[in-house]
Amino acid sequence: MDVSQYLEIFIDETKEHLQSLNEHILVIEKEPENVDTINEIFRAAHSLKGMAGTMGFKRMQRLTHDMENVFSEVRNGKMTVTADLVDTLFKCLDALEEYLTNIQETAEEGTEDNEEIIAALNKAVEVGTGEQPAEKTETKQEKSEAKASSDGEKDEENRKYKQLVLADFEKHAVQEAKEKGMHIFGITVFIQETCLLKAARAFLVFKALEEMGEIIKSVPAVQDIEDEKFEFDFSVIYITKEDIEKVKAAILNVSEIQSAFMEELTVEAEAKQEVKQEETQQVANAPQTASKPKEKPQTKTSKPVVNRSVRVDIEKLDVLMNLVSELIIAKNGLVSASTHDANQGTQGFNEQIEYLERITTNLHESVMKVRMMPIETVVNKFPRMIRDLTKKLDKKMELYMSGEDTELDRTVIDEIGDPLMHLLRNAADHGLESNEERERLGKPSVGSIFLNAYQDGNNVVIEVRDDGKGINTEAVKNSAIKKGVITPEQAENLNEQEIIGLLFRPAFSTAEKVSDVSGRGVGLDVVKNNIETLGGDIEVTTKLGEGSTFTIRLPLTLAIIQALMVELGDEKYAIPLNSIQTIEDVNISDIKYVQTKEVINLRGSVIPLIRLDQVLDCPPKEEEPENLTVVIVSKGDKQAGLVVDNLMGQQEIVIKPLGKYINIHKIISGATILGDGEVALILDANALV
Amino acid sequence: METNAIQTVEDTKQYIVVKLGNEQYGIDIGYIDNIVRMQMITRVPKAQPYFKGVINLRGEIIPVMSIRVKLNLEEDQFTYATRIIIIKTNQQALIGIIVDEVKEVVTLSEVDVEKVAYDGNAKDEMANYLSGVGKMENELLSILNINTVIAEKTEKENG
Repeated sequence: MDVSQYLEIFIDETKEHLQSLNEHILVIEKEPENVDTINEIFRAAHSLKGMAGTMGFKRMQRLTHDMENVFSEVRNGKMTVTADLVDTLFKCLDALEEYLTNIQETAEEGTEDNEEIIAALNKAVEVGTGEQPAEKTETKQEKSEAKASSDGEKDEENRKYKQLVLADFEKHAVQEAKEKGMHIFGITVFIQETCLLKAARAFLVFKALEEMGEIIKSVPAVQDIEDEKFEFDFSVIYITKEDIEKVKAAILNVSEIQSAFMEELTVEAEAKQEVKQEETQQVANAPQTASKPKEKPQTKTSKPVVNRSVRVDIEKLDVLMNLVSELIIAKNGLVSASTHDANQGTQGFNEQIEYLERITTNLHESVMKVRMMPIETVVNKFPRMIRDLTKKLDKKMELYMSGEDTELDRTVIDEIGDPLMHLLRNAADHGLESNEERERLGKPSVGSIFLNAYQDGNNVVIEVRDDGKGINTEAVKNSAIKKGVITPEQAENLNEQEIIGLLFRPAFSTAEKVSDVSGRGVGLDVVKNNIETLGGDIEVTTKLGEGSTFTIRLPLTLAIIQALMVELGDEKYAIPLNSIQTIEDVNISDIKYVQTKEVINLRGSVIPLIRLDQVLDCPPKEEEPENLTVVIVSKGDKQAGLVVDNLMGQQEIVIKPLGKYINIHKIISGATILGDGEVALILDANALV
Repeated sequence: METNAIQTVEDTKQYIVVKLGNEQYGIDIGYIDNIVRMQMITRVPKAQPYFKGVINLRGEIIPVMSIRVKLNLEEDQFTYATRIIIIKTNQQALIGIIVDEVKEVVTLSEVDVEKVAYDGNAKDEMANYLSGVGKMENELLSILNINTVIAEKTEKENG
């Protein structure tokens, strides 16, 4: 057993605690009197301290300890939360996050002591309470002593080691040790009920003991302790040369140990106890069980609604995903076999296929669900970021979020954080006007930024909206010309949407001056790239003087999709079903020309036609048929009609990458394997429209 | 670039002898993952011209390159003897190359392989793709430098 095996849990839990600290400190900044929040913060800080201590991260422990001190004073009503204090606390959290990153990367906390922050914290306590910190620790000690004496009364009850039963060989060992003049101790150790890593604590105690002697028996068994299958105490029979005080000191040296009860055992006593044991076991169990209900409600209140999550190794999920993929391929094989010999195909065979189809669909869905995470995990760090920006940019603003529970694929969640952060910073820095300007324009002095997420069919839409000045297309155009992105002649012909599109070109920034928040021009193109690699797209709508909205559209799932299979000559292609609106038969005479481009008029809307065979360099056909089969696809509110030769039907397909070496045009988003083993390419309708 | 990539500490190496037209080429057996029969290749529009397309190899999609196009030889004629050699490079990605015929496996000692010096800007593009010439009993074997064969050409030559 080794502490490092807890590292992962430690990192995860520390992240959770830091996040909750961030959130609660934000609350407390607005409502300094909120008692529940203060308690929540205190608990989180306390847990952090405990965990850092367990893992041996001394600097982190020290910092959280001082933080906890501050909250303890606040909780006791001895000091109030001031703006200065909140700033210090946020600095504190940033420092802790830094420790955490260090730990994540190197398993070491690093060497930064953050003396400044600690000093600031201590000063805050001094100023806030008007008390010397030295006195405080004294009173604390007194308190703990007083507690210890009252514990003494319960002494007998706590000496659980007396209930230990020794097996013959263990008795033998005790006997032998006795003869050698060693001490035999019965020890019962109580761990603090707030302790989070009980097993790690127990392990540290065991380690300390084993350095000085030998543990011959423990209850619960060592394995159970390692698995955390115990309440808050454990008992051991221990042989050592050292005296009782030294052993006790060693145990209490481990942090988060409430108390240790121990005495020297005589062999006779052991023997007697054994007889007594059988009788008392029932009785002895009684207080134990009686004490349980007391603990239960306590632990419940100390851990309020935390997301019950299972942490699954993403690699294992990927394996599962691959298996499902194969299952679907197998199913497709069956389907194609059944259509080939439809005459011989019996009803049972078809039933089997339907059954298999049901299983695979369910399996797909449930695996997808395992991979899904609420977007909350990404967005909940944003309120803090906006708060910091408020100070940094000296602009009043408020972030409103909705739809935090919208779920997305794990891989998408991991990647979407940075682009969103960038858009929010953009909105805060470029979007919103300065305080004075807002007042001059008669807008509310506090700017608003909205972050909305919701599901729309097979897509998840995330909107970042601000009520700022909007995008000045003229400025964008001029800036683009100045930077040589476009020529003045090109600029003439651009419509508004195309001008906004320029923003997503590399090395483009309209900000007159570069701030450290944004404006270096390495922004929106990276955002767009990131989102496109996730299979999504981004759109901007803006109204000068009223604000802009960046709309990100992401696919719900990445690996398996429903697609329409089409034929072009003898080649087969898949078009994702979610981008298809309708399928139309168009007579060749209905094709009109607008600016030498083929269009059709479909129920009042003019839709450009795309000859897929030309786009995809298919071998030319001998003659044009009378009627064209046109698949109408849409992207946002844009539409296009794809001309195909033949429709093959709808199919569930598994998206596979095309490999590293081959250059792939953006209209091909991947490939899939059909039931007969043939490879079909998947068209990206978004790139075609 | 890596003309000595094939060199190792061992004295002998095994090569697969393949035919492209009338010439015989050797491929270091260490690169070879698999050899499969010619099968249905799905064309990939707008890819490099020397990529014939992709195939399905037990559920994996693998790009297939025509070594003839890459080496500026005449177009492939697919016959019953045509094979796709699946190459696994140190980048762990698989790639298939089409050859007219796979003949045998030979063992050559290092002294029998004469290295071809490539001076970097030679007009003879072929030299870039060879790592040496091996002497068999009474024939010569041009040994392909797999890394340069599958590497992207430096000049952009496709849309």
